[in-house]
Amino acid sequence: MLVSDIKSRPVYERLRLDRAARRHLVIADMSRPLDEVIDGLGTATAPIDHWVVAATSAVDARPAVERADSGSRVEKRAFRASAHLLDRLSHRLARETIGLRLYAVGEEGFIWNVARLAREAGMEAAECQTAHAGSLRRDVFCVHCKTITPGVTTSIAACSGCGAHLVVRDHFSRTHAAFMGVQADAEAPGEYAPAEEIFP
Amino acid sequence: MTGSALALRVVAAVPLSPTLKAFTFEAADGGLVPPSGPGAHVRLFLRRGAWSRKNAYSLVSNPEDRSHLSVIVRRVAQSKGGSAFLHEEVSEGDVIEAGLPANLFPVVRTARRHLMVSGGIGLTPFLAYIAAFEAEGTPWELHHFCRADERGAFAALLARYPASRVHIHCDADLAGLAQALACQPLGTHFYTCGPALLMEAAKDLALATGWPPVRLHAESFGAAAEGGEAFVAVLQRSGIEVMVGPETSLLDAIEAAGVEAPCLCRGGACGQCVTSVQDGIPEHRDHFLDAEERASNRLIMTCVSRAQTPRLVLDL
Amino acid sequence: MTIQFKPEETFRDDFSYANSDAAVLRFPFPFPEDTYMYSVNIEPHVPGGPSPAYDNPFDVDEHYVAECAERARVLEQDPSRCKILPHMMAAQWDTLELIMESFATSYPELFSLTREGTRWTWENRPLGIRDSFTFGDASTLPLPPFEYITRQAQGDFTLQDQREDNLFIDGGMVTTQADWSLDFDVGMTFHQWHGPVPLAHQKGVFDRALKFLLRLQFGQPVRRLNWTMTINPRLDTSPENYPQWGPDRTTVTAENVGRKVHLRVELQSLFRLPRSNAILFGIRCYLCSIEDLARVEIWGKRLHRVLRDLHPDIADYKGLTRYRELAVAYLSAFDDGAALPTGTAPRQSILPAKG
Repeated sequence: MLVSDIKSRPVYERLRLDRAARRHLVIADMSRPLDEVIDGLGTATAPIDHWVVAATSAVDARPAVERADSGSRVEKRAFRASAHLLDRLSHRLARETIGLRLYAVGEEGFIWNVARLAREAGMEAAECQTAHAGSLRRDVFCVHCKTITPGVTTSIAACSGCGAHLVVRDHFSRTHAAFMGVQADAEAPGEYAPAEEIFP
Repeated sequence: MTGSALALRVVAAVPLSPTLKAFTFEAADGGLVPPSGPGAHVRLFLRRGAWSRKNAYSLVSNPEDRSHLSVIVRRVAQSKGGSAFLHEEVSEGDVIEAGLPANLFPVVRTARRHLMVSGGIGLTPFLAYIAAFEAEGTPWELHHFCRADERGAFAALLARYPASRVHIHCDADLAGLAQALACQPLGTHFYTCGPALLMEAAKDLALATGWPPVRLHAESFGAAAEGGEAFVAVLQRSGIEVMVGPETSLLDAIEAAGVEAPCLCRGGACGQCVTSVQDGIPEHRDHFLDAEERASNRLIMTCVSRAQTPRLVLDL
Repeated sequence: MTIQFKPEETFRDDFSYANSDAAVLRFPFPFPEDTYMYSVNIEPHVPGGPSPAYDNPFDVDEHYVAECAERARVLEQDPSRCKILPHMMAAQWDTLELIMESFATSYPELFSLTREGTRWTWENRPLGIRDSFTFGDASTLPLPPFEYITRQAQGDFTLQDQREDNLFIDGGMVTTQADWSLDFDVGMTFHQWHGPVPLAHQKGVFDRALKFLLRLQFGQPVRRLNWTMTINPRLDTSPENYPQWGPDRTTVTAENVGRKVHLRVELQSLFRLPRSNAILFGIRCYLCSIEDLARVEIWGKRLHRVLRDLHPDIADYKGLTRYRELAVAYLSAFDDGAALPTGTAPRQSILPAKG
């Protein structure tokens, strides 16, 4: 019962610019054209910042200003890695005022780390939209040793902390930005189904 | 089922202005008053002969202090109701019945900063808010709107707090508020209490400044589910008719008539009291029936729901 | 009323925990009918009912001292079983006030609370605790207020913050749980933390329960029962320690099933907290071996029928699958199939001697 209807499992819709916002900040885990990831650009009036992870040391996060079709100002920045982007984001949020809307698109591990930073900065869930794109691989929280094993693609995976073979459940914590992993063979050691690639 | 849980003795009744009077109560038995939180209200049961009212007033006392409860009552012009009764007929030493404190306007505990907008007597819940914010050191800002002739009375209630946090406006100009709304850090929540027009204008201004609805909170008295128009419940199987008064629930009235009716949670959730309706149209207030069942008007949850028609015939 | 505590009994290793006959007879048996399905079985938490376990806001029984010692052991190994988000400080004091006032009123011979303004003195005689502190000033207590008081109470507790027309599980003391993790679930909404429960979502149980709880009033607490089964009288069946207790499920045999398999009942109580507007959720765990339960005639028969006919998804979720057949076979010997009256009262005041 791995793909279940557990209510904690996030359900995603396409991102849509919130017309009530005074500023937009769209964040992606790789270079993704704005109009491919978010709706409402045609009628946007508030300025849009567009931050992406470029995964190269050749960029330096300097701003490049463009115009959207609607005429609104778009300021684009490329970051060397997601850690680089998240670090810059925490500084930005510390000085922000109400009226900002945040949008995160990418793999689940990334978008929920953005959402966690937003929450820690005082943003409400309604001010931070998330949308999934790319691989379905999961970050898995080991309920026994509290280690988060990133990038899990299989139904059962070894915990990178304690080595237990974890069943990857659909129970998701926004606080930990991870799915729950529970030892598969706790009742009868060695007795577990073979791992299947189910989060490609 | 909100019983008259408290007996309160009036220990002070102090006029603050020609229309405002502050009442301080202690427990009539000499013990502690029940605990309460910022934004809580208390329902006072006011009686004179056959006349009675249950009026809710925001508690203005510091929630940390259980030695007393305080409210401020505005005398409503041409009132024949509770406010005139309290102003004219209640004095020190009197004992008044009251319900336990309840809170329909709680503080958002995750907020890092609180922005409050009040009009006139709508200041009262914020007096308890501010006492709590000051005690825990959470930043706050108040914009209070009132008539010029009442400025002194309200300013006196706020005199102990830093002037930088308190803004009193005696006109309808919202420019100062607009400025404040535009520069609040992430994590601020907005609360408003006062005349409906002011609350609407302040909320609209916040929405126009990019505030999401989830950050906006307004005091709404009278939203409680109990009470409504009186009606007659005809209990078909028992062969009796029961008068359901404006302050009584249908279930309470059925039980008072000596008829045993199923029930469990008494809050419209569990489904135990579902009863078949033979005639008449229910006013559904429960959380149990689904849309189809509601629309059929053939079922009713007696613990919370009432009637849209003067008579309701039930299979009881 | 005197309670004969059993301070030496254990809930791990040699499992010396046992119920006296009186404790068996006051067990809050959860099945009024021969079948079981999820429902919003909420009722006002007022004194009275088929078991004395309902007589007080927080029940204290013969296992009190031993359960507090077991909680201390769990926390010593895993302090994250008690976790409270920073915005819940008012709710922490609410909890301390509610439990202290309730204990002192319900059991004056065991607990006392004296107050002069905010200067409070708390005395817990069974645990040998006496502390004076300033209410509202956490620095005057040896532990944060919620942890301080819940270390002195039986059962788990969680704190729900109410905002956005929802409840968030923003704190708790969870050391005697039926396989759920506070450390993982902390911060979740009502529907999220109930996510793994099968069938009940589709039946709308959680939608209705949430709407009801959002309107829960101060001074009008409510309660419900929940249940599962546990091998050995083990309180700490946490997911954290699943590798330690999971293998117990494979140790049940036809010979030991009556002693090993325990019905685990949670007396859940919900209180609106007046200062914080949060909700305190008490999850009080009672354990009784099915051998002892079968000494109450009506309970043995009924438990047999409920287990025999249980929906397989529920049996799976509750972890009964490996030993359900053995338990049903054991209990069938006590069931003559006669019709049983509705209700949970034991209908006898003396137990027959053990098998």
